Amino acid sequence: MKNWIQAFSIIDFISVGILLTVIAMNALKRLESYVRAYTLNSWLLSSLIAIVAFMVGETHLYVASVTTLVSKGIVIPWFLRKIVRQTKVTHDAEPYISNTLSLTISGILVAVVYTSLSQGIFVTGFSKNVLQISIAVILIGLFSMITGRKAITQVIGLLFMENGLFLAGFSLTFGMPVIIELGILFDMLMGVIILGIFAVQIKRVFISSDLDKLTTLKG
Amino acid sequence: MIEILLIPIVTAAICYALKNCKVVGYMSLAGAVVLTGFSVPVILASISHPIETLGGVLYMDALSGYMMALVIFLCLVSAIYSIGYLEHELKVGLTDTAGMRRYYALLHLFIFTMLLVTVSNNLALMWIAVEATTIVSAVLIGFGFRKRALAVEAAWKYIILCTVGITFALLGTFITYYASTVVTGAEGVLNWTELKGIAGRLNPSTMKLAFIFVLVGYGTKAGLAPVHNWLPDAHSQAPSPISALLSGILLNTAFYGIMRFVSLVEPSTGEAFTGNLLIVFGLLSMGISSVFILVQDNYKRLLAYSSIEHMGIISLGTGIGGFAGIYGALLHILNHAISKPLMFFASGKIQAQFGSTRIENVSGVLSSMPLLGTITFIGAFSLAGSPPFNIFLSEFTVLKAGVDKGLWFVIGLFLVFVVIVFYGILSGFGKMLFGKATEQKNGAAGEQVTGGLVMPKHQESPAYGLPGFMTDTIMIAMALSVVFLGVTVPDFIDNTIRTCVHVLGVR
Repeated sequence: MKNWIQAFSIIDFISVGILLTVIAMNALKRLESYVRAYTLNSWLLSSLIAIVAFMVGETHLYVASVTTLVSKGIVIPWFLRKIVRQTKVTHDAEPYISNTLSLTISGILVAVVYTSLSQGIFVTGFSKNVLQISIAVILIGLFSMITGRKAITQVIGLLFMENGLFLAGFSLTFGMPVIIELGILFDMLMGVIILGIFAVQIKRVFISSDLDKLTTLKG
Repeated sequence: MIEILLIPIVTAAICYALKNCKVVGYMSLAGAVVLTGFSVPVILASISHPIETLGGVLYMDALSGYMMALVIFLCLVSAIYSIGYLEHELKVGLTDTAGMRRYYALLHLFIFTMLLVTVSNNLALMWIAVEATTIVSAVLIGFGFRKRALAVEAAWKYIILCTVGITFALLGTFITYYASTVVTGAEGVLNWTELKGIAGRLNPSTMKLAFIFVLVGYGTKAGLAPVHNWLPDAHSQAPSPISALLSGILLNTAFYGIMRFVSLVEPSTGEAFTGNLLIVFGLLSMGISSVFILVQDNYKRLLAYSSIEHMGIISLGTGIGGFAGIYGALLHILNHAISKPLMFFASGKIQAQFGSTRIENVSGVLSSMPLLGTITFIGAFSLAGSPPFNIFLSEFTVLKAGVDKGLWFVIGLFLVFVVIVFYGILSGFGKMLFGKATEQKNGAAGEQVTGGLVMPKHQESPAYGLPGFMTDTIMIAMALSVVFLGVTVPDFIDNTIRTCVHVLGVR
């Protein structure tokens, strides 16, 4: 089994899948698809952790894999779908720039990350690509937060960033101690819930979930 | 130490469970008093000797004790101020009983998260606590959000920007952990005390990367420019006691994280790297805020920009480093934590009286309300950095540190910005304090619409009776300490700060 995983470079496949799901967000049009892309991203992340746990035989990584699956793969997507339904937005995401442009910029971001980390200072334990991919995921998530018009797009962008961050932490050190990861997950869960509540409030107060209405406070 | 963390949680639970809106405020005050009573001996003990519990996860040394003392001091004063403030809000219909219960419960949870930041030895736990402060305080800013559209806007910007920023701090923490695995072998360490022991052997380039991420992350939370945009919105839209907490201590707890990291990074990379970054961000914050202070027409936003300026000074002091620099920064944290909440309390009362947060709508505070006017007068001079008030002393200490190191360019810019801020704050508050009293200005049925925000104008002076008396008492006490700390730094504060500087590894 271990040889088989190595021979087919399964780890690289999965991490590229993680990268593709975040890039896909730039090509999608509907908010539901965003949530689906995020769900897929989280499942891939969880399975990557599980496979590495199998390769190195670390028990605490299995725990991390399961908690990731439950929180990011099941609970948060369910909550996001609920928020999307509640805000009753016209389901198009309508980002500020066209999909073509944002796809191009995402591509450039990946290239920049790969060139700048090519002689990186890091020795990654199990794959050469994972750290680069994780930084790229963080940057693309940030980028989609900037271009997103809907409140919920920003939340999803933030969640993608956190997934990238988990991947980065994981590729650097095989994850943090379990209790710390649970704490981080708890914070994230609370954050998403609060953001969801605020997204519904924005819809209710401003009669729109477009963030360009939020411009009264300045100067 | 554990009991100090438990008391706010218990208080929060009781406040949420109480159904009577008259009692809940006093319950919260009782919780704050109990917290103060329990914490004083622990803080005193921690200053003379570090305390550890839970296998080193929680740790208190003099610096933690110092920050914790500030958190608890502000908890106490805001618990007192909140009673009168919320009674007024209730009377004018901006909140209801459910809102008040939620408010007090969240207030104590907020205190809990900040206390957790100060006692975390584990850097990841510290991150978790800082992120928790963001979440709790965002709800507090949006408190009563069903009636205030602007508060929703401010809270949204605040939570999004700070969460993104702080994500980078977590990456920095991961990288630090990675750097420690290289040194220690298999298992890395995350405890500050252990990392401090191996700080000199950590890989310098890895630690540089980690520090940049941490500075961006916690810097966002500490309100350092150019990622300060959330701060004026959040501070101006939050209820006044919460603005006081945000400005007086929340920014400093985030900066406390940076200070801890500086002492980990410095031994391997040398003082110049962290120092220069902090000086640049400090000056940038001072520069940007000074411009905005000059053109500001909203006094709560003016105070918020003044917070950015003071965070800039604290960052500058830490960046200049050396004994005097760090000492100045820590003293500045204390002075700012007294003056700024005092001003937010005063501005909350002015807002209740005049029904507006615009400077042009307020005038003659000094003649119509002599006590409040005098307090505002003292606070404004203190924030502007004028002698003989407390902030002048700490700014002067930072200045002296710069002169000792011969950083003439930095000092030049520092002085220019301080002068601009001096003029900006005093001209802004001067317009409000002097002139003819215009409190009976004819608004449309006592209401003024400012930027979509309807604020009921209050006819009678808010918060008479016991809450009013207590509020006045603490405000007078704070104003007196502003003056007192401007004349001298008492021995026990001086000794505490000296110990803190030693904790950070500076001799």
